[in-house]
Amino acid sequence: MPAGVFKETYLADMAHLRYPIHWAALVAGLALLLVLPVMLGSYGAGLAVMLMVFFVGTVGLNITTGLAGQISLAQAALMGVGAYTAAYLANAGVSILLAIPAAALAATIAGVVLGLPSFKLKGYYLAMASIAAQAVLEYVFQTIVDPYQGIEINPEAKTLAGIYLGDGAPLYYTVLAITILAVIAAANIGRSSLGRAMKAVRDNDISAEIIGIDVTRTKALAFAIGSFYAGLAGALYALASPSVGWDSFTMETSIDYLAMVLVGGPGRIIWGSLLGALTIRTGWSLLASVFAASAAVKYLVLGGVIAFFVVKEPDGLIGVLRRIKEYLRLWPFSY
Amino acid sequence: MDAGVALMLSLQAAIMGVIYASLALGFNMVYRVSKSINLAHPEIALFAAYVAYIASVRAGIGLIPAILLAAIAGFAIGAAMERLVARPLLGRPPVALIAATLGVFYVLRGASIAVAGPDWSGGSYELPATVYRLGPVALDFSDIVAVAAAGGIVALVVAMHRFTKLGIAMRAVAEDAYGAAAYGLPVKQLTMLSWGLAGASGALAGVALAAKAGVSPGLDAYVLKALAASLLAGLDSVAGIVLGGVILGFVEQFSDYLLGPILPGFGNVAAFLVMLVVLLVKPYGLFGTERIERV
Repeated sequence: MPAGVFKETYLADMAHLRYPIHWAALVAGLALLLVLPVMLGSYGAGLAVMLMVFFVGTVGLNITTGLAGQISLAQAALMGVGAYTAAYLANAGVSILLAIPAAALAATIAGVVLGLPSFKLKGYYLAMASIAAQAVLEYVFQTIVDPYQGIEINPEAKTLAGIYLGDGAPLYYTVLAITILAVIAAANIGRSSLGRAMKAVRDNDISAEIIGIDVTRTKALAFAIGSFYAGLAGALYALASPSVGWDSFTMETSIDYLAMVLVGGPGRIIWGSLLGALTIRTGWSLLASVFAASAAVKYLVLGGVIAFFVVKEPDGLIGVLRRIKEYLRLWPFSY
Repeated sequence: MDAGVALMLSLQAAIMGVIYASLALGFNMVYRVSKSINLAHPEIALFAAYVAYIASVRAGIGLIPAILLAAIAGFAIGAAMERLVARPLLGRPPVALIAATLGVFYVLRGASIAVAGPDWSGGSYELPATVYRLGPVALDFSDIVAVAAAGGIVALVVAMHRFTKLGIAMRAVAEDAYGAAAYGLPVKQLTMLSWGLAGASGALAGVALAAKAGVSPGLDAYVLKALAASLLAGLDSVAGIVLGGVILGFVEQFSDYLLGPILPGFGNVAAFLVMLVVLLVKPYGLFGTERIERV
């Protein structure tokens, strides 16, 4: 084991893939992702698609909450804005590949407008504004957008060059491609000057102001980017489901999103979000199917897990894994 | 709108306003000592409403002992939250505490379902269904009980904060914890007591609310709306909460009556619009102290 790791050029310092093992892992991982629908069958591929949808939403919330330190409880409602925009556009005859970015932009605009009151204020005010935003958007969904709970999406809009994208392997590869692009973008946002500004605002907003960071602008951008990813997740959700209904975008889904960020690893945009989404979603289905748990047990378990991670493991599962890795690296010595 | 309808709406608004004030009290008490919002507060009220319902209606120990039981449960939950969640998070940003109370929100929701059993759709406290009439105005007995209980809680807490030695000590801790410690006040115990009293007031307010609205899983939505009253009054003001609650009650009742025909159920969302407007115009509320931390 060398005494340290030395980078001699700026490019080497900024590289995402630094060691041969990273390249090997990338090739193996991509190959695995490409053959996954064949291995899992159509049911498993459907589960993987929903996991990726929530992964994208969690990445967004991880930028808002993990990087910029602003709690948002409106992620599900903004996802709903994206899903309904995509559904309406698709039913109006717009191709789904155009509807997806439009939906993400609609969610961004909704998020910025509803978050506007809180950007100038300290952290917890965004939590309040987002609670209000979630309630207002839910009301709009229930009374104006979707009064009969469930909007069917025209399957023809999901067909591109004769291939139906709303099902099976084409759906999987479409969602996979968009997810990978979104995640690469998020990783680079986290490393850019904007990402560092967000971290500065999270750690101490007054110091951030003093070193010349525009705190209001940074908070607004963090929330806008989070909303964009929520809208993208909603659009992918609309692509993957035959219909969208407002019961998928309630406050509880928002709390689930927050749980995914806190359990996975706040501030660790990619792996933290992935671990969190994986843990919470499989946790829910395991509790429901294997243990046949009642609603009471589910709430008790999830609530306990959130409180435990915030109090005892603020770095989330990523932090736990890092400690395990460190222990194994030094084994059998303790330091 | 004729005068009779306006009078009736005003009366309902005032009753709901006082109930909102009593529900919002817990948010402010916690905010004063911990500078954070206790998002588990709605579920404390819900849990207490169920405890009182089960003790009085299903177990039949009478309403007054059941309410005492609910208040004790609320106090215990509040104090336990301070010890297990808020104290370990001292020194971390307030956002961490908000996230942790959200976890407690789910835990208490699960506990409410567990306590109520599988048929947790609820019921009522079986108060006598007498209706009092005075001209165009009609009042249920349950309305009177609810408003009396809620008003009593607010008066009690405000009086305690203002006139007792304990209240003055708690205000000192809220104002400046280090200064209070330097004068020999037991800061940790007083903070825990504040959380406990916030829980107890939330529990009693939850029972008062349930007396009017019935025991149901949706009670916590009212408490979330009461957050608007809390914000309107200013998060660190205690006495101002009555005005905040009554304004919220009036906005809700009248907007629901006027806009209801076009937008059904508008009253449910009015509180959240009030919240957004307050954040935009006067984030420290009507009576809150404006600290210089705007960035």
